[in-house]
This record gives sequence, structure tokens and C-alpha cells, in this order.
Amino acid sequence: MEDQITRLTSRLVVPFIQVYGIYIILHGHLSPGGGFSGGAIFGASLVLMALAFNLSAGVKQISHQSASLMESGGALGYALVGLIALLWGGNYLANRAASFPLGRAGELFSGGAIPVITVFVGMKVASTMVTLFYNLIEGEAKVGDPEKPGA
Amino acid sequence: MTLQHHFPALIIVIFLICAFIMPLLFRWRSTLCAPALLLVHLLALAMAVALLVRLYAGGPFYYHLGNWAPPWGIELKIDFLRVYMVLILVGLGLWIFVYALKDLAHELKREVTGWYYALYALLIGSMSGMALTNDMFNLFVFMEICGIASCAIISIKESRECLEASFKYLILSAMGTGCYLMAIAMIYMVTGQLNFQLIREALPAAAGLYPNNLLVATALIIVAFGTKAALFPLHVWLPDAHASAPSPSSAVLSGLVIKIYAFSLFNILFFVFPASFRQAVPINEIVLWLATLGILFGSIFAMVQEDLKKMLAYSSIAQIGYVFMGIGLNQPTALLGGFYHILNHALMKGMLFMVAGVIIQATGRRRVKDLNGIGHVLPLVMIAFTVGGFSMIGIPGTGGLISKWYLAEGALLANRLFFVIVIVLSSLLNAVYYLPIIINAFLNPYEGREPVKPVSRLMVGAITAGMIAVIFFGVYPKPVIVFLKAALAAVIGM
Repeated sequence: MEDQITRLTSRLVVPFIQVYGIYIILHGHLSPGGGFSGGAIFGASLVLMALAFNLSAGVKQISHQSASLMESGGALGYALVGLIALLWGGNYLANRAASFPLGRAGELFSGGAIPVITVFVGMKVASTMVTLFYNLIEGEAKVGDPEKPGA
Repeated sequence: MTLQHHFPALIIVIFLICAFIMPLLFRWRSTLCAPALLLVHLLALAMAVALLVRLYAGGPFYYHLGNWAPPWGIELKIDFLRVYMVLILVGLGLWIFVYALKDLAHELKREVTGWYYALYALLIGSMSGMALTNDMFNLFVFMEICGIASCAIISIKESRECLEASFKYLILSAMGTGCYLMAIAMIYMVTGQLNFQLIREALPAAAGLYPNNLLVATALIIVAFGTKAALFPLHVWLPDAHASAPSPSSAVLSGLVIKIYAFSLFNILFFVFPASFRQAVPINEIVLWLATLGILFGSIFAMVQEDLKKMLAYSSIAQIGYVFMGIGLNQPTALLGGFYHILNHALMKGMLFMVAGVIIQATGRRRVKDLNGIGHVLPLVMIAFTVGGFSMIGIPGTGGLISKWYLAEGALLANRLFFVIVIVLSSLLNAVYYLPIIINAFLNPYEGREPVKPVSRLMVGAITAGMIAVIFFGVYPKPVIVFLKAALAAVIGM
């Protein structure tokens, strides 16, 4: 489907969606939202690109390889933040007890490990959204109609 | 604080980290994947042993994630039974993984092997988490991880039956976790707590005010864990799922995954619900009768199966019944039998699924009828099958006898003669479908022109190790029995 209106609109809207997604991720420890919702919004913008143009245009934005890298990296980062707490003398995933700098409540740079974790969660969720979407589309292209046996 | 203090969390975390790294590692250094996962298993095993040592020195202890004490934070509890489960999970997980190293090459496409390792690590890690957690909601999270990983580890073969089976499993397992989530909500509504111990303290007061809430929650919990652990009549997903999965997946799903749900149900029944509550509502009685039905019908269904792996899967439904029977009889000796059966059944069913995998790989046969004379071409493997079958029946010298013995003794001590008869009857039923295979395999001539494909020594070695372990735990069960007796005395005495 090549629709000029859809393409132009999504081209206009996508940067705003992405900025909004990043905003939600970064303010996860201050306001409603956080890694999951922000990541989902960011991922949706990439899905929108692939929908409005085509799959190859979407893949150009974020390739399979970088998506899976971000996916593993996000989860891994979360787990490693927990391990850092352990090195700094707290229990696993400790925050204040592991002497992460807490800052002043309400400021962007506050909350110790929480914003770091939120960013990793956002990364993970955004890339997972995209990977899921790609897999759905490509699975159909690869396997063909699942109802037909032997396809 | 030393590193040793963090072992409870680290056992779970290293598996998770390993699972996250695996896809990356497979992309760039695919030869390192298997050694890395082996190393993680060994590390976790060492940590579990260290936990055991610490338990002997100082008794049960707790670990607060993020230094948040309950009711705010998640608490891990380390006691003898939980460490027993972790040791089984990690130890047998390692054993099955060694077998999987060679088997996967025949069953999976090469490019998904990295994902398989990731799922395997996720599965073992989440099960260790379920064994250690002392928090209702954390248990739910680990159940979800475990459920999704189990579905994926079945569907990874991408054949038609696998996809169908894992879809069925996905739906029913989601229903199970959904029931559990609602049960948590019901309990949280009236007690305001998620921690096992704190719920236990708050329940007596809440039970007087809101009895219906708690009744519904109890029913939901039984349905949730019954579905997950394939308690009869909620077992419908199991045969397809366990039969169509790759053989190492079948071994780990049948051997370990259904057990951990039974263990979680035990944890909730005995550590969350106060004893008075269990007397007021016949939870144990319900579990006991469902287990009895499972024991009988699982065996009867297994008899009519034509497919070897499907037969083994139905036999799992019967065998998990023994574990639930131990829980249901609510008697220390019977519980001991049930817990010993967790180890025994994990060993023998894991081994039998491995044998099935080897037979399929070597001869391409998976129908029970086609196994005539297979003992002549695969002697060692079929001897292992014989030992496993004997253990299922409960012939002396194998682990199966010991657990059935304690179960029967527990039933007698509880004055429930009927269940002794059930155990004896089910042994006969087991004999009806295991013995013909063994007899036909050794006494009939082998028919078939096609040459038997060679099987990796590592796979046969893993099977042999399993066979030795089954015999060992049947001939010398004392250390485990003494250990379990001490562990259960603390529970029942509460």
C-alpha cells in the first residue's frame, strides 16, 4: 500500500512520538509511566514506520541484529545494575543501601539506580516490540499460509 | 558482607544473565555457548552446596532483595526443603543439558540452538526462583517466566505437532497463572500482605471476616497449580506437549518443571495456610483424591498409547500423582515418600525420555509396536530403559520402590488402607505397559533392514549415569531419607 497521506503524516509524527517515548522513559522515576510504557511508545513509532512505508524501510531504521542486541543488552544491563549494587555492599538490586547517589527528590538526576534501570527496561521493551512485529510479518512471508499443509 | 551471603540471589541471577547473553554469544562466538551454560550450571551447583553447608551450620535464613525487608521487599527463604529442590533442579538440569549437547544437533536447526540454550537457562533459573522465593507475587513472576520458557522450548522444533501442542499448553498455562494471580488478589484484599509468613499471621483474623474470599482463593490456587503440574483432570495439555517436544525438553519438562509446581503448591499449603485453615477446608482431601484419580487414569491412558514418548508422558501424569498423594495424605512419612519421589521420578523419567530420544535418533522408530528386538541393537540403552521401567513399577533395587514404600507406610500410619491398595494397583498397571516393551525388546528378534545410526557416546554416557543414579538411590537411600526426615520434621512440627 502506498498512501501519500499516511506516509507524510507518519513522517511528521514519528519524531514527536519518539521524543515523547524517551521523555516517558527518562521521567520514569518522577511521573507516571516508565520503562515499559515509554519503551512501548518508542517501539510503536518504529512499527509505524514499517507499516506506513514497508518492511525494508522499517528494517533500515533498526536492523534485526541491532534489535536483538538491544534486547539482550537491555535485560543484561538491568541484571548488571543489580550486580553493581552487590559490589558496592548492598544486597542484589539494592539502591540506597548500596550507596547509589540518590540526589534531590523530584529532579531528573535522582533516584539512584532506578533511572538507570528504567532506561534499560525502555531499551528492552522498545526493541522487543519491534522484534515481535518483524517476526510476525516475516513469519508469514516465510511460511506462507499456515492453513495450507505442506506450505 | 561476603559474597557467600548473596548466593541465594546469585543462583537465580547467573542463570538469567546467562540467558540474556546467550543470543549475543551465539551470534559471535557460537562455540562458547555450551561451555558457558555448563559453567553456569556448575557455579549454581557449587552455590547450592554452599547454601546447604550454611544451613547445617546456622539453620534457615532469609535474603532480602534490594535490602528491603518485607512487607515492602521480596524475600527469599532458604531452608532444607528448598535447597533440596534447588539441588535437584540444578543437578539434574546439568545432567539433561549434557545429553542435550549432542541430541540438539539432530532435532533442531542450527541457528536456533543459541535460543534453545537461552530458554534452557531461563527455565532452570526461573524454577530455582520458584523454589527459593517467599513472596506470593514473586512466585507468580517466576511462574510466568517458567511457563513462557516451557512453551518456547516445546515449539522451538517448529513442526506442526509442536506448534499445536505448545499453543494448547500456552493457553492452559496462561489460565493457570491467571487463576493464581486472582488468588493473590483475593488474599491480598483481605490480608494486605504478599509475604508467605506475613499472610500466615494475618490469615486467621481475615478468615473469620471474609471466609468466602479465602475459599475462592484456595480453589483458584488448587486449579492454578493443578493445571501447571498436570494434576488429573487438568492434565490435558501434558501428553501432547511432552511427547512432541525435542527429547531434552521432554526430559526437563517431565522431570523437573511439573515437580516445581507441585512443590510450590506444597509451600503455599503448608507455609501460607495455617494448620487450622487446612483442617477447616478439606484441601488435602481434594488433592489426595485428584492424585489418586491421576495415578490410576494416567496409567490406564498410558497403556493404550502407541507412541513411546506419549506413553511416557501419560506415565508422568500417574507419577506426579504420587507426589501429590504425599502432599494430600498430610502425614510426615507420606510426605517423605512424595519428596523422595520428586528426585526419583525426575531421574527415571528424564532417563526414559533420553532413551526414547536415542531410539528415535538411531532407528527412527517411535511406535511402541516397532520396538521389537531393539535390545539387540541398542543393548546398553535398553538396559537403562529396563532399569527405568523397573523403577516406575517399584521393583526392589530401584528408587521407585523406596518412594512407594514410604508413601504406603504413610498411608497406613494415617489409617488410610485404601491408598495402599491404590499404590499396589498402580504398580501393577505400570507393569502392564512397561514390561511388554522390555520383554519384546530383548526376547524378540530385531526386524528391519535399515542400519542403526551411531549415537554419540556422550548421550549414552548421560543415560548410563542416570541408570547408575536410579539404582544408587534405590539401594542406598539413607542419606537423602535422613536429610528429608529432618527437613520435614521442622515443617510438620510447626
